[in-house]
Amino acid sequence: MFGQGLLKGLQITLQELFTKKVTVQYPEESLPLAPRFHGEFVLDVEQCIACSLCANACPNKVIEIETAKLDKKRVLTGYMMRLQYCLFCGLCVEACNKGAIRFSQKFEMAKYFRDQIPLILYKGEPPVQEEQGNTGITAGEAEGTEV
Amino acid sequence: MVENIFVGFAEWLRSLLAAAGLPALFGDIVLMIVKVAGILAFIAISVLWIVYMERKMAAYFQARIGPNRVGPRGLLQTAADMGKLISKEIIIPRAADKIVFLLMPVLIFVPSLLLFAVVPFGKNMIAVDLNVGVFYFFAVASVSTIIFWAGGWASANKYALIGAMRAVAQMISYEVPMVLAILGVIMIVGSMKMSDIINAQQNVWFIFTQPVAFIIYVIAATAETNRTPFDLLEGESEIIAGPFIEYGGMGFAMWFLAEYANLILVSVLATTLFLGGWLAPFGLTFIPSWVWFLLKIYFMIWVFMWFRWTYPRIRVDQLMNFGWKVLVPLSLANIFVTGIGMFIYRAIGW
Repeated sequence: MFGQGLLKGLQITLQELFTKKVTVQYPEESLPLAPRFHGEFVLDVEQCIACSLCANACPNKVIEIETAKLDKKRVLTGYMMRLQYCLFCGLCVEACNKGAIRFSQKFEMAKYFRDQIPLILYKGEPPVQEEQGNTGITAGEAEGTEV
Repeated sequence: MVENIFVGFAEWLRSLLAAAGLPALFGDIVLMIVKVAGILAFIAISVLWIVYMERKMAAYFQARIGPNRVGPRGLLQTAADMGKLISKEIIIPRAADKIVFLLMPVLIFVPSLLLFAVVPFGKNMIAVDLNVGVFYFFAVASVSTIIFWAGGWASANKYALIGAMRAVAQMISYEVPMVLAILGVIMIVGSMKMSDIINAQQNVWFIFTQPVAFIIYVIAATAETNRTPFDLLEGESEIIAGPFIEYGGMGFAMWFLAEYANLILVSVLATTLFLGGWLAPFGLTFIPSWVWFLLKIYFMIWVFMWFRWTYPRIRVDQLMNFGWKVLVPLSLANIFVTGIGMFIYRAIGW
């Protein structure tokens, strides 16, 4: 009969009026993220051996690692990521042998100013040494290699 | 007591002015100013509320929540929007006809305001109870067509012009079935006075005796107020906003205000003609008549919102075909059947 579709449409919208709303009120609540979500990076400083594999794996030279020699061991003194160039591809996370650099679930990374974008994951004083000075090398720049 | 709160206030004001030794004419003038102020306040508050209600209903019909950030439950959302619109710069296009362009958003509100004079808000609560009430209503409502047209023309914009053309075509076409549909009610009542029409519905509302007229009226009213599925003159995806395209800030706010004032008005007419106006159903007279009236018009407004968020927009040719080839013959047939029915009733002596 003519007009049946119109009534059907009204019926459907009326049902929607009383159904549970699907809105997730974002800042207060949020949907669960996938376990492998590529969010902001976290660095487990204790685990990091300053091997620079992550910096070498990066296609965009995002990661800048500063190291210092302590006896015969390299230690981490700085770990900075220029997130404005980061693809969040995860190659650095894959490259890490120690599982020190990881993704977190945090995705609210908007900043008000450009100079706030670089993510400083570690900034430590170079360890004090008896005789030798700091021979800090900058992994990303010293190598200058692409993956 | 609540029933007569407004009428009582008017009487009190009149007697106060008379006691002060002022002539009756002065009292009448003061009372008329108070009535106009009251109607303006009613329009302003209603529109603020209806815009909020529309957004909430749109959200609910789509299983969303809607505005809920400004004020408690988002109640101040429209006030914030209005504040934004008022504070915006008025931009006049270089090619526009300046005077007409600036005048039309002001004039569009005039017919709407004039129509509120004959709105029967409750028992004895009608500003001017004209004996040609319904006729006056349609006569003044038609004026807004030319204002839409002038606004679209003055904008000197092709989309505005197309929108204005559509507005004229649509509003004139749908006025015909609307008036013809209402003729059935007028025939039964034998009067065009708003209070007579309401009093004639003491026993049975005209929605039951004139169901076809009611359906035609609701469809034509949706078209008259330019709401979906007949919002061709706005047609966001085709002509952006139609006649309003060049208007920003307060100019746009005025068009918007008039649009929602017209929505109230068509609901008022539907309530008055078909839903028994301020008459209480089932003898629930302890609720004041003006509360009943507001409840009924808000129900009608809700129905128009329900339509808007259910149906997709139709094409121009479909609109014209439906108006002239379906609604007009149907309303003519309704008049014919009503006439025969009245004749038979009179013949058997009811």
